Amino acid sequence: MTTVEAGVAGGVGTSPKRPDGGLKVRGEFAFSSDLWADDMLWGATLRSPHPHARIRGIDITAAVALPGVYAVLTHEDVPGAKRYGLEIVDQPVLAMGEVKYQGEPVAVVAADHPETARRAAARIVVDYEVLPAVTEASLGVLLRHVPIRTGDPDATADVVVTGEYQVGMQDQAFLGPESGLAVPAEDGGVDLYIATQWLHVDQKQVADCLGLPAEKVRLTLAGVGGAFGAREDLSMQVHASLLALHTGRPVKMVYGREESFFGHVHRHPATMWYEHGATRDGKLVYVKAKIVLDGGAYASSSTAVAANAATLGIGPYEVPNVVMDASVYYTNNPPCGAMRGFGAVQACFAYESQMDKLASALGLDPVEVRLRNAMTTGSRMPTGQIVEGPAPVADLLIRVRSAPPAPEGSGDLREMPGGVSNTTHGEGVVRGIGYGIGIKNVAFSEGFDDYATARVRLELIGGEPAVLVHTAAAEVGQGLVTVQAQIARTELGVERVTVATADTSVGSAGSSSASRQTYMTGGAVRAACQAVRAALLARVGGARLDGGKVLSDSGAVIADLASVIGDGPIEETVEWRHRPTYPLDPVTGQGNAHVQYAFAAHRATVDVDVELGLVRVVEIVTAQDVGKAVNPLAVEGQIHGGTAQGLGLALMEEIQMVDGIVRNPSFTDYLIPTILDMPPMKVDVLEMADPHSPYGLRGVGEPPTISSTPAVVAAVRAATGKALTRVPVRPEHIVG
Amino acid sequence: MKTFNYLRATDVDVALQRIAVEPGARFLGGGTNLVDLMREGIEAPETLIDITRLPLDGIEELPDGGLRIGALVRNSDLAAHPVVRGRYPFLSQAILLGATGQIRNMATVGGNLLQRTRCLYFYDEASACNKREPGAGCAAREGFNRGNAVLGTSDACVATHPSDMAVALAAIDAVVEVRSSRGTRHIPLTEFHLLPGTTPHLESQLESDELITAVELPPLPVAAHSYYRKVRDRASYAFALVSVAAALDFGADGRIADVRLALGGVATKPWRARTAEQLLLGAAASEDSFATAAAAELAAAVPLPGNAFKIDLACRTVVAVLRRLTTERSGS
Ligand SMILES: Cc1cc2nc3c(=O)[nH]c(=O)nc-3n(C[C@H](O)[C@H](O)[C@H](O)COP(=O)(O)OP(=O)(O)OC[C@H]3O[C@@H](n4cnc5c(N)ncnc54)[C@H](O)[C@@H]3O)c2cc1C
Repeated sequence: MTTVEAGVAGGVGTSPKRPDGGLKVRGEFAFSSDLWADDMLWGATLRSPHPHARIRGIDITAAVALPGVYAVLTHEDVPGAKRYGLEIVDQPVLAMGEVKYQGEPVAVVAADHPETARRAAARIVVDYEVLPAVTEASLGVLLRHVPIRTGDPDATADVVVTGEYQVGMQDQAFLGPESGLAVPAEDGGVDLYIATQWLHVDQKQVADCLGLPAEKVRLTLAGVGGAFGAREDLSMQVHASLLALHTGRPVKMVYGREESFFGHVHRHPATMWYEHGATRDGKLVYVKAKIVLDGGAYASSSTAVAANAATLGIGPYEVPNVVMDASVYYTNNPPCGAMRGFGAVQACFAYESQMDKLASALGLDPVEVRLRNAMTTGSRMPTGQIVEGPAPVADLLIRVRSAPPAPEGSGDLREMPGGVSNTTHGEGVVRGIGYGIGIKNVAFSEGFDDYATARVRLELIGGEPAVLVHTAAAEVGQGLVTVQAQIARTELGVERVTVATADTSVGSAGSSSASRQTYMTGGAVRAACQAVRAALLARVGGARLDGGKVLSDSGAVIADLASVIGDGPIEETVEWRHRPTYPLDPVTGQGNAHVQYAFAAHRATVDVDVELGLVRVVEIVTAQDVGKAVNPLAVEGQIHGGTAQGLGLALMEEIQMVDGIVRNPSFTDYLIPTILDMPPMKVDVLEMADPHSPYGLRGVGEPPTISSTPAVVAAVRAATGKALTRVPVRPEHIVG
Repeated sequence: MKTFNYLRATDVDVALQRIAVEPGARFLGGGTNLVDLMREGIEAPETLIDITRLPLDGIEELPDGGLRIGALVRNSDLAAHPVVRGRYPFLSQAILLGATGQIRNMATVGGNLLQRTRCLYFYDEASACNKREPGAGCAAREGFNRGNAVLGTSDACVATHPSDMAVALAAIDAVVEVRSSRGTRHIPLTEFHLLPGTTPHLESQLESDELITAVELPPLPVAAHSYYRKVRDRASYAFALVSVAAALDFGADGRIADVRLALGGVATKPWRARTAEQLLLGAAASEDSFATAAAAELAAAVPLPGNAFKIDLACRTVVAVLRRLTTERSGS
């Protein structure tokens, strides 16, 4: 690239104010739950109370009879495909003869008031024959097994450590519950305003289920209140559209907090067995691992999660001999699927716990043992893939280790275990330090045709050059709208950039997941801007753009930018792809499955009241290589938020399942960290460019979640001497 | 939510007359618990009598050094009251360690005492719960019972009383003043809440036509040296796994001359730890005596698989609080 315009304000590498920031802080941002249409009806969903049951009959008579009710629909009313799914089409729009998890939608209702809709749903009589529920992954039906074999499966080593680790079911716990508005259109189609992560994958599934061509199902992104993977699968999209088409009226659906727990997938609970063999001087000889994931009742993205757990399952280390088996099973628990970190989170807790165990078996410092095995550029993954981009694993570890130690407590109760709960005032407090480092793939893998589309238009508005960027990429709170504008400013040297609302009138952007959207949609916006620039220069035979002028090769001014655009706007649409990836060999797990790897390291310092089992994380130091901080403030925000989510998994977050029933579907009972639980953080951002990605950037969103959990747990272990092989760690595990 | 009538009472007698003729009516305090329960369909009163405008929101010092607290005093105001902070610091702490600022600004003294359990099975209409539906059974016994009680339980119910404030009030020997059109009664707080026994749906001595009008605190010098300690799963905004309200005083001989101890998070009602108190009274302040007293109190505990840890945790918490009170006392 020869001609990137420098000097324009608000471009790549800066942190311009985000358009939704002030609105959100003031409570004025319109979330999808605020959608409104005159004359709209309200939808409600009847869900299964049982984790597994046969449906012998559904009687809707009493619901239909309720005044104010406009429609009561069951699976019989689904005109198109009766099932949908991200990877495997297995999930019924509405239950057909059987329910397989508690909370599975059975019928939907539209009424003129939300309360009427709920009451009508409650009047539907479903005749269930309760069936035994399978709630242990190991007893379920296999959904996918991903084996990886490299080197000698019978390798032996001087020092061997083994362990069994468990990760509980974590929830994404976004604040904006599932919601949207479906508006029937004159052409027999539907316009759906929706909070989602991927408009086009929703569009395809909704259209299939409605039996409509895709162009008759138009989606527009509504205000998203967090996602973290929980909006990858459909929730109420088909339901609201069905009701709208049946009634001829706009239909709004908003889940309450409790319903939201049943409205989206969760993080896969995992049980993991690891055996690490190393030489006496701490070089890993082999890793054998078995990972069992509970996929729940439907496939969702389980197959990809299992692949991630397997391919990333030994961590950012060089290991010559690997026997890895990751499997995911169908059960009658709630479906599990995408959540920030996507399979890498569970494995990282296990392999990092193992690295600490190995360090202690060898009498080595935990960072030292990691350094001796740290992968680097050119290292070979257990899949045989060579890590081509920067892999500053050792550098990240050294950085977090060499940060100054966490300050001693000031005596302020809020800094002590238990915080303001008036527990310890300093007595019985033991400090511990722990480390974690993780690896994550960025973007879609295993040969998936991963692309993003951007349409960029350069035009004169009021005589001034202005850019309109239009993509279908979902702003889920990560700051993507801002980033798209930054890229357009940098590429076209025009400060005035508008980012159009994301919708399906432009090609797919892929999902806002897998840490991929700045890379992918950012890459597409850049490519579209470059195409616009090329067309612009071609109009007048210019060589480059500078300071609002078109210049010749020799630097002479040929024309004013505005006058060139005056001949007519320039618009280009580009579909942009990352380098291809390849499937894994089904037997050996060999293959170049991932396009980019990202790394982050954490050092956690905790104070533990060993008498009462209370933990205060007093400081977290983290270092992450982001390739290029396209928006430094947003990068820091991702690192803070991701780390908090990892801390939550370490110390409190778990959906409590008992015999297939969710026991804590509320934010009173499902605890996430508050501001008092989060310590101050030191964030060290490295920018080691990846030659293959736009601006050298690397996906940022997931790595911080992955390694913060093992770092926090390692610190608690250091303080208590307890084995702590399951997260979340609770007071009883510390004092017990 | 079921539809209901709403009326605002401005006069205590009118409120009492109304409730006397309408047993399906309920008083509405801050609404922070009742409205949630109505939304969940667990309570369905026909009429709400809003009592927040009744003139019961004063805090009055009594001639004997005690305190009379109107039933509609907001939790935040009670916690901030200088006399409470000075003479009964653990009451102030207990309140401040409950819920959040927003909720405490709404919640009233009467409502706090009558807030209902957070047992997950009480909230889940699909589960058997003797408290919600007498005779239905208790799903918590076989279920996720980490939050449930180990003291004062029965076969029928293991639900924890969730209030923090009431634990401190139990330690103080507060007295609840209640009125109905039939007259006024005074009920010691430690007797106000009922053990579940075979009738867990009956939670207090309050009759359906009675209004809590005030809570009276006796003068209690030992309370000036007191702590409320709460062990929970995160630093703020969580119910107690275990909590302890403790006050301690020593005689000239260095032995324990007065002690108040009550437990929360572990029992079916605010739990006055009288067994422990009796053992402590006159004993030397030592780790041993504290541990012995705590163990004696918890000897009656009946653990479930998910909450057995609370017995040890409660003992540890009692010891830790008493130790802290002792160190501070000897330091000063
Ligand atoms: C998210 C959340 C977290 C919480 N965390 C905690 C916690 O950590 N610790 C804690 O202790 N509490 C906690 N609470 C509970 C809170 O303290 C109670 O909800 C509150 O104290 C109830 O007071 P209120 O005035 O709002 O009661 P209301 O909801 O108005 O009433 C509760 C009951 O009392 C009855 N009532 C009210 N006043 C009177 C009266 N004067 N006479 C007779 N009957 C009356 C009502 O009819 C009703 O049955 C929490 C609540 C929430 C929602």
